[in-house]
Amino acid sequence: MRPRFRRFFRIDRGAADVASAVEDELRFHFDATRDELTSQGWSREDAMREAHRRFGDLEATTRRLEAIDGVRVAQERRVQWWDNTRQDLRYALRGLRLSPGFTLGVMLTLGLGIGANAMMFSIVDPLLFRTPDGLAHPEQVHRAYVQTTYLGRAYASGSFSYQMYQDIATKTHSFDQVTGYWSTKMAIGGTDAVEARVTGVSASFWRQFPVRPEVGRLFSPGEDQLPAGEPVVVLSWPYWQSQFGGRRDILGEHLKIGSVDYTVIGVTPRELMGFERERSIAFVPLTSLAANAFAEGRSHRAYYDGYNMHWLHLALERAPGVSEEAAGVDLQSVVQQAFERRAELEPGADPVAELQPRALLSPVQQEAGPNRTAETRVGIWLAGVALLVLLIACANVGNLLLARALRRRREIALRLALGVTRGRLLAQLLTESVLLATLGGTLALGIASLGGGLLRRTLLPGSEAVGIFTDSRNLLFAGITVVVVGLLCGIAPAAQVLRGNLAGALKGGTREGSYQRSRLRISLLVLQGALSVVLLVGAGLFVSSLRQVRAEPLGYDADHVVFLDAVQRDDFLTADGMDQLQRRLLTRATELPGVVAASRAATVPFYMNWGEDIFVPGVDSVGRLGDFVLQTVTGGYFATMGTRIVEGRGITDDDRAGSARVIVVSQSMARLIWPGQPALGQCVKVRDEQGPCQYVVGIAEDIKRESLRDEPGLLYYVPLEQVPLTITGMLVRTTAPAAVSAEPLRRALQAEMPGTSYLNATPLTEMVAPEMRSWRLGATLFAVFGALALLVASIGLYSVIAFTVAQRRQEMGVRVALGATTRMVVRMVVGDAVRLMALAVGLGLAAAVLASRWVEPLLFHTSPRDPVVLGGVALVLVLVGVAASLAPALRAAHTDPVSALRSD
Amino acid sequence: MADLDLLQGTLDLILLKALIWGPAHGYAIARWVGDTTGGDLQVDEGALYTALHRIERRGWISAEWGLSENNRKAKYYQLTPVGRRQLRDKTATWNRYARAVARVLQTA
Repeated sequence: MRPRFRRFFRIDRGAADVASAVEDELRFHFDATRDELTSQGWSREDAMREAHRRFGDLEATTRRLEAIDGVRVAQERRVQWWDNTRQDLRYALRGLRLSPGFTLGVMLTLGLGIGANAMMFSIVDPLLFRTPDGLAHPEQVHRAYVQTTYLGRAYASGSFSYQMYQDIATKTHSFDQVTGYWSTKMAIGGTDAVEARVTGVSASFWRQFPVRPEVGRLFSPGEDQLPAGEPVVVLSWPYWQSQFGGRRDILGEHLKIGSVDYTVIGVTPRELMGFERERSIAFVPLTSLAANAFAEGRSHRAYYDGYNMHWLHLALERAPGVSEEAAGVDLQSVVQQAFERRAELEPGADPVAELQPRALLSPVQQEAGPNRTAETRVGIWLAGVALLVLLIACANVGNLLLARALRRRREIALRLALGVTRGRLLAQLLTESVLLATLGGTLALGIASLGGGLLRRTLLPGSEAVGIFTDSRNLLFAGITVVVVGLLCGIAPAAQVLRGNLAGALKGGTREGSYQRSRLRISLLVLQGALSVVLLVGAGLFVSSLRQVRAEPLGYDADHVVFLDAVQRDDFLTADGMDQLQRRLLTRATELPGVVAASRAATVPFYMNWGEDIFVPGVDSVGRLGDFVLQTVTGGYFATMGTRIVEGRGITDDDRAGSARVIVVSQSMARLIWPGQPALGQCVKVRDEQGPCQYVVGIAEDIKRESLRDEPGLLYYVPLEQVPLTITGMLVRTTAPAAVSAEPLRRALQAEMPGTSYLNATPLTEMVAPEMRSWRLGATLFAVFGALALLVASIGLYSVIAFTVAQRRQEMGVRVALGATTRMVVRMVVGDAVRLMALAVGLGLAAAVLASRWVEPLLFHTSPRDPVVLGGVALVLVLVGVAASLAPALRAAHTDPVSALRSD
Repeated sequence: MADLDLLQGTLDLILLKALIWGPAHGYAIARWVGDTTGGDLQVDEGALYTALHRIERRGWISAEWGLSENNRKAKYYQLTPVGRRQLRDKTATWNRYARAVARVLQTA
């Protein structure tokens, strides 16, 4: 006697179901027991009591059964989920294998999109978000800045004097640690020295970075005392590896840094970089580095004297429980006092009321502070651009998937009719798109790894590389992006398909009702087009900026000029000795073949400015008019630099100590000081108000010395013999490009250098080039990303139009049968595409114009609404519309009406 | 004769055996156990249900809802292939064990 089976449930779901199932089962048990006992003559009450006796503790058993079943249901659900996912994956893989062209296209599209983002994340993350390795409380650590107002503009500076550092360390009470740090390039080693970066830190640094040294020990506050600290050095791990082969017995050995012999006391752990992005080869006490580096006598005072010499940076760690506001107020009051003391100590200093010093606490990431570099700003823009590219890629892939899904409408409708739940179908569609995104993601990692390395070398030379594959943050970012992209691409087609009318899809062939314009597809297409427009406009603006920057007159010919700087280490020459040496070098240089002209110089564009007070009879406090920079030169200067003399004459070798005192001023300076008057013959006093007049004998064209953007270019030239200065550098013009001639020049002149002193030779182009980097980078990457976006968008446009035309085959057949000419059909199809692109252009240009306010500061002499750029982009998009639709249009026009009408 | 305490795992074995002739609900299984052992094995029916659910969780038996002989909704258990194998293995083990214990007790 087999019981009749009928299914009530397939799987129990949820705790409530579990409980009611147990209750049902046990009720049946009790009912059956009672029925049997009553049939044997028991009374109902007795029967029930007996049933309970046989069963035991009903309450406890029920709870136990529910617990067991709960676990079982959860297990079953997990197994089910895995089964489904495996099945979906198999199904998706089979589908992708069947259309390799589609798969490859999508992989490439998503790979490029995700790769661009992973690449930009790997660049921007260390700049803005990542905290230094080994730092104990990054959220409590701040970089300090002081903002002052000068000539009506506010400047933030992160450089502090030693005295200000001491004031902040001793007089504030909101900070647990106040660390001073500074890094500079020093000559390392004995006779055959090379320059490398060394970082000086106060001993509190090791409390902010509580690391265990790989070998030996770190230094203590007692070893970082004025005036010169102890000559002890903690090597950084990579330098220890490369120069000392990772020997553990190096403690006590000596390393010469600058002119001081240091004793090795330890090695940092591998990851430690400190607060800076560039690796140092070693950490030494701050006072010892300063005493060492400033010993050259560049200043007539000790580095720790007074408030005027700003050189070190500060990292402050807030005490627990002190808010950022309270700490800021505390710091502000100490900074204010320091400025007031400085005004007392230095009569010549600008009045505090005018400087309006304001202390700022910034996050520990340098680029999150007030002085963000142009490279970072461009980097952030490019990250945004990469996101746009990804959105375009998603829109495109979504569109392709939609087309696929629409082709499978009947299959899907059939499966729905057969009882597959919508949830399962949705999971299946999303599995496919996430799988595609994952495939693209693997490709993306390769792209990001290659592109990121390339970009880092141009954008942030010298910074530590972060591997894409080896870094958990980068991998996590890529992983999250893949999932989000997968869902984003899959959601539109899934929604469209599942919303569809089941019966309609089942009934109709491809003929009936199958041609519906999908509004979603059209919107995605327009969105892609609009985003491409935005990117192309960006590319156009940056390319135009780069062209303008290149065309911008510098006021000198940087390509053929080399800057030579003498660096002394052990035996310092007297001012006279240095003067003799420089004269010898100058004479020797002019004798060398290939040298056109040479001159000594105090100021080098984009490298260093020399300032002196100047006085002009009849003009009150000239210094308030602007920032005047002094250039002291010898006779060959203007020939060396190629700076034109606009009026009068330049400075010659005949302008000597005893001859008539002369000065040459820049055009802007002449206009600013003597507006409407002839400048020639006017008197300027340099350095000393009571001193003799230098008479203006010439006016030189303006030059760019600090920025390629519009700057006043206030510069004056005096003969070195008439305004003596100890200067160590000279400029040499060669017939060959400076990049080629720098090294031979250095070698030829090094022979003249006494003892362990040496020469540095730098082409002037190397000083100017970093200034152009942000535009070059912006132009290149915007163009690459823009081209990518356009390519993706045009593929999208082509596929949508081809698909639509194929769907409208019958309609086309009817039109052709009724006598439509090729021309008419082509015009209809191409017209549709062009209308779409026109809409995209309109939206994209509107967005570009709205964004123009934020792009403007990044551009150079280019309006963000440049009509040539905007018009050009519009034209390109319309042409792309025509090109993408031409082939499908011709195919439509040649539809054979008979076969089209017969089919399906 | 005193009630026999059930050894660990023995109840599982008995329940597997109870299902060898086809699907059955808990009440029928309880009846079969009582009838077959003639009352020698005193098992709380509550413990019996607990054991049934436990071996269901282990995948030895599976359950479906069906209609009983008098048309009431009841939960029917049946052996899975895993359960069938378990029954075979455990029966063999049990027999070896029982023989060994019997041999020990017969000496002396």
